[in-house]
Amino acid sequence: MPALPLDEAGKYVAGAYVVFLALLLIYVAIMATRLQRIDRELAELAELAERRDDRSVRDPDGADAGGERPANDPGTPGREAEDVPGGDLRRSSRQEVS
Amino acid sequence: MNFRSPRILPWLTVVTLTAGFALVFFFAPNDADQGFIQKIFYLHVPLAICALVGFMVAAVQAIIHLRGGDSKWDVRSYVSIHISIILGVAVLITGAIWARASWGKWFVWDEPTLVSFLIVFLLYCTYYPLRYAIEDRERQARYASVFAVTAGAFVPLNFIAVRLAETLVHPRVFATSDSGLPPKMWITFLVCLAGMGLLWETLVRFELAAKSSRARLGRLRRALEGDDVGVAGSRIAPLAHGATETS
Repeated sequence: MPALPLDEAGKYVAGAYVVFLALLLIYVAIMATRLQRIDRELAELAELAERRDDRSVRDPDGADAGGERPANDPGTPGREAEDVPGGDLRRSSRQEVS
Repeated sequence: MNFRSPRILPWLTVVTLTAGFALVFFFAPNDADQGFIQKIFYLHVPLAICALVGFMVAAVQAIIHLRGGDSKWDVRSYVSIHISIILGVAVLITGAIWARASWGKWFVWDEPTLVSFLIVFLLYCTYYPLRYAIEDRERQARYASVFAVTAGAFVPLNFIAVRLAETLVHPRVFATSDSGLPPKMWITFLVCLAGMGLLWETLVRFELAAKSSRARLGRLRRALEGDDVGVAGSRIAPLAHGATETS
C-alpha cells in the first residue's frame, strides 16, 4: 500500500484527532449542563429549606408537628443503604411495584 | 499521593494523554509502509481496546449485581457501558477516516474486524431501549445485568473471530512476528493506551458522581417537600412513602 503524501495524510490524521477532541468536548458540555441543572435544583431546595425554617420560627406549634421528622432525617440508619449511586432507583421501584 | 482521588485522576488523564499525543507527533517514527497516516493508530487502537475492555468490565459488574443484588453494581455496569459506547462511536469514526485514507473506502463490509466491532457496538446500543422499555426498576436492573453478561461474552468472541478470519485487510500489528512495532512506537502506543484507560476511568467516575448527586438531590427534595406538607398539617413524606410501600 503506497503511503499518502504528507499534505494528503495530514488532513485525515488531523480529522481523526479533531473528531476525538470534539466528542470529548461535547461530553464535557453535556456534563456542564447537567451540573448547572443540579446547581439550580440545589438552589431551589436551599430556598425551600429556608422557607420551611422561617415558617417553623413563626409557627412553633407547626414546628412541633414536625416532631415526627426524625424519620425524614437523612442520617436515620434505615436510609443509609440508599445513599449509594442508584439507591433512588431501588426506592422508586418499590413505589412503582406498589 | 492518592491516585483514586477525584482531583488527581482528571489531571493525570490530561497529562498522560497530552504526553501520549506529543509522543505520537514528535517521537514515534513514521510507518515505513503507511507513512504519516499511521498516526491514527495511536488514537484508534487504544480507543477500541478501552471500549471493548469497558464492555467486559460492565459484564463483570453485572455478574456482581446478579449475585449480590446490590443496585450500585447495576449503576456501575450501566455507566461502564455508557462510556464504552461513547468510545465506540470514536472508534468507528476514527476507523472510517483511517479506512478512507488507506483503502479509499469509509467502511469495508467483508472485513471481519470492522463488521464484528460494528455488530458488538450495535448490540450494546440496544442496551438502552431494552433497559428503558421495562418500567419496574428491579426487573429493569436484573434484565439489564443479564444483557450485559450475555453481550460481554461477545467481546472475546469478537477477538477470536477476527484472528480466525482469513480476509486480512485490516492490519494485525500485535499478531505478526515480522511486523511487530519498533520500541519507539511501542512506548508511544503504551502511553496512549494508559491515557485512554485513565480517560475511561475518569469519565466513569464523573458519570457516577453526577448520578449519585442527582439521586441525593431527589431524596433531599422528597424529604423537604414532604416536610413542607407536614408543616402544613398533612402527613410527612416518609410516612407517605411507607404507606405507599406497604399498600
